[in-house]
Amino acid sequence: MTFKFAVGTVVCVVLTAVFMPILARDYQRRLEDYNENVAANEAELRKVKVYKNIRPTAYRAPNVLSVFSEGLEKQLGQSTEIELGGVSEISSASTGGNPFLSIFPTLDVTLILKVVMSILALLVAYNTISGEREQGTLRLVLSGMVARYQVLLGKLLAGLVTLIVPVTSAFIVGLLILQFFPMVSIAGANWTRIGLMYLASLIFVSAMYNIGLLFSCLMRRASISLVLGLFVWVVFAVVIPNGSVYLANYLRPTEAREKMDTQVRTLIEEKDNEIRDLTKTLRTGGNQGMAMGAFRGVFIVYCEKALMDDYKKKYTLSEPVEIKYADRIFEVQQQYLDGLMKQKYLARTVAQISPIAVYEDLMSALSGTNLASFEHFRNQVKLHKDEVIQYIRSKTDNFSLPSYFTQCKEEDYEEGKKWDYRKLLEQTSPLNLQDLPRFRYGPEILIKVIPRATAHILLLVFINALFFTLSFVAFLKYDVR
Amino acid sequence: MIRQIVYREILENLLSLRFILSLLLAISLFATAGFVFVAKYRKESQDYWKETNENLSSLSEQTKRLCDVVRYRQTVYRKPKSLALCTEGFEKYLPNSFRFSVFSMYIPQARSRGNFDLGRFSDIDLVFITSLILSFVALIFTYDIICGEKEAGTLRLMLAASIHRHKILLGKYIGAILTLGIPMLLGLLVNLLIVISSREVMISAGDWLKILTIVLLSFLYLSIFVLLGMFVSSRTAHSANSMVVLLLVWVGVVILIPSFGRIISDAARQSPTEAELQRRLTEADKQIEDDCTSGKFGRNAGMFSSDPEKCNPPATARWTNARREAYNQVYEDHLNKMMVPVTFGRSFTRLSPTVLYQCASEVIAGTGINRFKSLYQQVKRYQQDLKEYIRSKDAEDSESLHLLCDHGQAIRDWGVISKKPVSFDAVPKFQERNLGLGQSLQLAIWDIGLLALFNMVFFAASFVSFLRYDVR
Repeated sequence: MTFKFAVGTVVCVVLTAVFMPILARDYQRRLEDYNENVAANEAELRKVKVYKNIRPTAYRAPNVLSVFSEGLEKQLGQSTEIELGGVSEISSASTGGNPFLSIFPTLDVTLILKVVMSILALLVAYNTISGEREQGTLRLVLSGMVARYQVLLGKLLAGLVTLIVPVTSAFIVGLLILQFFPMVSIAGANWTRIGLMYLASLIFVSAMYNIGLLFSCLMRRASISLVLGLFVWVVFAVVIPNGSVYLANYLRPTEAREKMDTQVRTLIEEKDNEIRDLTKTLRTGGNQGMAMGAFRGVFIVYCEKALMDDYKKKYTLSEPVEIKYADRIFEVQQQYLDGLMKQKYLARTVAQISPIAVYEDLMSALSGTNLASFEHFRNQVKLHKDEVIQYIRSKTDNFSLPSYFTQCKEEDYEEGKKWDYRKLLEQTSPLNLQDLPRFRYGPEILIKVIPRATAHILLLVFINALFFTLSFVAFLKYDVR
Repeated sequence: MIRQIVYREILENLLSLRFILSLLLAISLFATAGFVFVAKYRKESQDYWKETNENLSSLSEQTKRLCDVVRYRQTVYRKPKSLALCTEGFEKYLPNSFRFSVFSMYIPQARSRGNFDLGRFSDIDLVFITSLILSFVALIFTYDIICGEKEAGTLRLMLAASIHRHKILLGKYIGAILTLGIPMLLGLLVNLLIVISSREVMISAGDWLKILTIVLLSFLYLSIFVLLGMFVSSRTAHSANSMVVLLLVWVGVVILIPSFGRIISDAARQSPTEAELQRRLTEADKQIEDDCTSGKFGRNAGMFSSDPEKCNPPATARWTNARREAYNQVYEDHLNKMMVPVTFGRSFTRLSPTVLYQCASEVIAGTGINRFKSLYQQVKRYQQDLKEYIRSKDAEDSESLHLLCDHGQAIRDWGVISKKPVSFDAVPKFQERNLGLGQSLQLAIWDIGLLALFNMVFFAASFVSFLRYDVR
């Protein structure tokens, strides 16, 4: 019941209590946006009259665990349009997010835990040995029949028990506040993730405690062990996380985005040329009426029979080409992304020297806001796109049926007939798209996350063991006078 | 007497472990920063010159006909700045390319080698090292400045000799500031040596003056933490407790308050969306069409035929220009709306001296969000200059109809603008002007004033606390 313990616990709880409502409201707002978007998308789907116009947008549901660890949640694309020739967008930077907001740092529960708890752990640990020596109590303890390892283990356990209190109270307060928000619901799998996060926080705090313990065993004066501990802290918490990214930028510069954009443009040109060559002989002009349909797509209300045959041939030829090129563009983008990701992984690997960075990675892996989750989203979208294409193919016999682009029947339209555009347009009715696969984005299943998380957890456990062994060795040689 | 106390303080600090550690940390950080800055500057300069030369060479092709200059879309890139070595101001996230023609101004875009998946990080520069590392070091130097001496019993001895308390306080303050200055100045020296010896970066006389100002500003900022340390140290009896309080204050001021900016502006839901922009563009378009049909621009506006007699070229020019104006207005509103949450978040986080210091240094170094705003204004001014130039050139040509407008068909068929060639050298070119030191100081005056205010408050507080300090 020391001053530092009381202050530390109170600060942790108060900070969580202040931040949690803001974070929860922010999540709620994003969830509202998401629901609105999905509803608008559904409404638009109900207006689709021809298969060509099925161009839904896949939205990424905001992740409730982002309140614990924001990770890349706000930096990544929120939605992508699904269309035959289209390719999913890469980042929210290209989808019109506000770039100016990037000048602000992120805020989440991990920030509070990693900063406040790690300092608290060091503060609890710094005078365990050297402080007792200064007071002279260490001699007394060792003059009893207590082995040195027992003293050290006892200190470790006592320290951990002290530190569990603020961590636990911060988690409980945070979760209690979350329950007050009606829109925030935490599903079963997420509880497991939160449990793992709690466990991870404990291991992390214990690692920081062990580091403090080592300095306490190395130094004869408590004030010096504190100063050393704090210097190491500032290197771990501020220098390494920033410096690693900074160095990664220097060691492995990424290619300019413009290069990829140029490649994509050339591919699009190639595609246009190929389609033009294929459909050179086919007419697209003639006696016809068009209307604006769902998703800002155009469809044909009526046209003469010869033209309809040409359209049928055109779509049968051109759509496979569109799909082929979309895949190639996807690959080009993937290559560019790989470059970015390699840089990212380099930065993260360098940062693993610092337990604080390991903890940060672990938390974002557990809450599903890290880079792997982003790749997962991209792959999900790709799969969904293939499903939609498959659906359209099966319904329109590989784009060759007229229902792909019009609702008019072949036999109704003969050469030279007069059509009543308004009446025909009124006759068109929306397609029944009940069986169209809908995009359901769930975060990765836990089983897939656990191996990655385990690596981080093992690293933290290793740091624990390493520093404890080192302090043990140092303590064995410690001069208690 | 004060001199002796200062001397003693410095000597004591210089021999301590914390001084050696902070010196090592500062120098290694500054040295890394120097090397990385040079490499970054080189790459950015290459990109900048490549893009700028491309832009200029296309512009020179357009000078064959004056009317092509009118329609040409220029792209101006942000030039890498040597003063970014002091503070980069998150420029890597800000839009850096401005696209415009004489009549249109689009929303500036970010075109760079940025990597969005890296998350936000700060470049390691003078302001980063001072605001995060050295402020921390300042607390480590001062947490036991009073209570530590009390614990050791030396404070009693000092006061037993007839030294005034304010002299002790002042002496300790000066001593702490000076010892703190050594790692910063030595580090900066190493940094500047690396940068200068690379021969890539040119630092002009005015820049040197600005660097000096930023160094002074850094001292003003660090002094807050020294005074804070002295204040807390003279409020507590044990140095361990003083450290706990100081660390928590530091975490709050340096890490937590600045992190509030994003979430505050997100929660206020103020950023405009792309969809909103498109909707407003459509609305503007419709408005202009309605005006056109109601005859606001004159009879037959927007009517085209190869015979200018049948149409009304001045009305068409008015119509085209009104539409361009409306679009520009929508784009500018959108940009301004995007800036609102940023300004809001920034003002909110100004509670923390760290943000004040970062903002003031950005203004003085001419980087960051202020530079973006000023660049945008400069591009707009340049657009006006170019328009004036075209107007005067156009007036010299008797074949032209002298109707400046951005309409391809009108230019081609009616010759509303001169088609004569102009000399490329005479066409005005964009040149970024940096603010002078005086002007930037004026802009930063509030931030600097608040920093000074923090200093005074903590000085008064520590003075009062120390006067009443129980030395037993």
